[in-house]
Amino acid sequence: MEGMIQTSTSFWVIIFGYFALVLGFGSFFARYNKTTQDFFFSGRRFSWWLVTMSIVATGVGSHSFLKYSAKAYEHGFSSTMTYMNDWFFMPLFLFGWLPIVYYTKIRSIPDYFERRFNPGVRVLATIAILGYMIGYIAIGFLTMGKTLEPLLGLDLYTIIFIVAIISGVYITFGGQTAVIFTDLAQGFILIFSGIIIFLLGVNYVGGFDVFWHALSPDYKLPLAHFNHPSNFNFVGIFWQDGVAGSVGFLFMNQGLIMRFMACKSVHEGRKAAAFNVLLLLPISTIVVSNAGWVGKAISIVTPESWNAAIQLDHVFTQVAYLITGSEVVFAFVIAAVAAALMSTVDTLINAVAAVVINDVYRPLVKGKDDKHYLKVAMMVSAGATAVGALSTVFFNNFPTLYEAHGFFHSTMTPPLVVAIFLGIFWKRYSTPAAVATFLGGAILMWIGSKYPQIFISPFDHGIEFNPDRPYSYIRALYNTLVCAGSGVIVGLLTTPPSKENTEGLTVWSLDKARELFKGSAPNDRPGKPVLVKWSMKETAEGIVRFSIGDMETMGADVGDLVYLADERKWLGGLKSVHGVYGEPHDEDGVVYLNEIQIESGLFNPSKKLIAEKEL
Amino acid sequence: MIDFSRAWLPYIYLYGVGGSIFLIGMYIVLKSKSLKMERIRHRNWFHILVFGILYYMGIHSLVTFAALGESKFASLIALIIGAMALNLIYTLTQKPKGVK
Repeated sequence: MEGMIQTSTSFWVIIFGYFALVLGFGSFFARYNKTTQDFFFSGRRFSWWLVTMSIVATGVGSHSFLKYSAKAYEHGFSSTMTYMNDWFFMPLFLFGWLPIVYYTKIRSIPDYFERRFNPGVRVLATIAILGYMIGYIAIGFLTMGKTLEPLLGLDLYTIIFIVAIISGVYITFGGQTAVIFTDLAQGFILIFSGIIIFLLGVNYVGGFDVFWHALSPDYKLPLAHFNHPSNFNFVGIFWQDGVAGSVGFLFMNQGLIMRFMACKSVHEGRKAAAFNVLLLLPISTIVVSNAGWVGKAISIVTPESWNAAIQLDHVFTQVAYLITGSEVVFAFVIAAVAAALMSTVDTLINAVAAVVINDVYRPLVKGKDDKHYLKVAMMVSAGATAVGALSTVFFNNFPTLYEAHGFFHSTMTPPLVVAIFLGIFWKRYSTPAAVATFLGGAILMWIGSKYPQIFISPFDHGIEFNPDRPYSYIRALYNTLVCAGSGVIVGLLTTPPSKENTEGLTVWSLDKARELFKGSAPNDRPGKPVLVKWSMKETAEGIVRFSIGDMETMGADVGDLVYLADERKWLGGLKSVHGVYGEPHDEDGVVYLNEIQIESGLFNPSKKLIAEKEL
Repeated sequence: MIDFSRAWLPYIYLYGVGGSIFLIGMYIVLKSKSLKMERIRHRNWFHILVFGILYYMGIHSLVTFAALGESKFASLIALIIGAMALNLIYTLTQKPKGVK
């Protein structure tokens, strides 16, 4: 196939032009990074719509056009399964994990484990999460290499090296704000290009009616066969990708969690997550899969134009090349796919930096100023890029990208996901129980992988045993159960943690978490946002002052938390600050801010601010 | 001809096991008072959460019926999803009684 795709200079001008644009865009937003808080969490300032669109690029990129186009071509509409079962966990995420991570202001997921258990459990969680994320970065680079391989004709690792340098540059200097804004742009481009492929593809085969009737009823079913074949069946995929993968992505993907923590409030985070799962995930699944469906339809309707010997991982590139009919459009589509992969990788690189700085470096090197940690964070980002690129050598040993992902979901996620779940929802879950989940679970998982016919087969749901790759998906069910079992048994046999040690850290004490977040009892008195001019005055650090009337309108008291943003809502909170209500004055419609707040919010003197009480 | 178990067994398993996870999650967040039904904003979230599970059940059954060539059932489900979405929008945009 490599020989079939010929490209001219204009193709590469578009590709490199696109990447230059992304680099410039990311670098522009780097000026918003004043502290490590900004670098990792963007100062908790953004609106839900901005965060949800940036999540699209991250989520789509992680699953990739290549992987799902290949499965879609082979198995039909059931390639959409993994994008369509996240809602089961939404009550637990929206009203459990999300408020906990937001209100406790944890710097990383391992940080939660130290607060909930002890520093030893934090170390175990750090090892687990770094392994997970570095592996994910490697798979991202590998996918990118495989996308460009048929076009470039270069060695896979040379491509990965080039891509790693480009990724490393803008994440290293840009931080979370750069990631969010580049992902925002790329999210729109991704959806747009995926829809373009679908429309052009349907048109290529002769219209929607021809496309629909060319495909068999079995191919069009949205869920795969229950337990057959062993390399793609419903029940295995449900546990491996739908449960372990989805829960892992939602609950333990540090990169995604950091996106939600960049929201201006928990409510905005909930809106971002709900909108993403309800509307954008169904669209995204069509976006990433449709090239496979179109490819299948082309192979049936016009078999003479289809290369029947195509490698599955090259289906997407082949379809895009065939249907676009224009090198410019083809270049745009390839750039969009590359963007998707970059989005996933850059999010994870930033997340690795957050974990290394907050869970490894800060505890070892204490008492330095924030600039020092910011500088080290940038160096760690560059280092994570390099380690991720090197790790591609290991993952290239898997037969397909899908199986490399499967290895991850079924082996890396269960201990951490189970520990998070039990930690949040089970008050009795103690430190020895958490250790048992990680270590006992890991030992039992290893035993299961050595003797699958004895230990995993009781859970196989009738899936055929494949000696080459035994129970590659359904092992996720076994792994989850042994991790949960280890934790629950030890939890029941040991002394439960004291109430004061878990306050604000479980779903049973969220009111306390809100109180800790604010520093005093939350004020739930109803109020409305106000539009105010700003004026620079000397105020104490973090204090903002409103008139008595404006505070009444907002339902606010002295000591409550306030969020101020530029009146232009389309900025999505980019120009905004958080503060604490100080003693009121009597100048209605004006807020007093100090120089630091004005500089941090990058407020424009000619623009008013919208102010609203938090919590 | 596609038999019943090929078309519907995965669906039943998905919403049997997944639906149980959803119900357990709802029970925990309600029981722990993380989701407070006395708060207007949380009540809206309750509606959104219930809508979400029905919405996904609807999409999966719609595509299954469409794949099987049962276009009348598929159209009916599309209408139901549309009606549920409108009802949700109406509920979320309604001002609660006693609140100006």
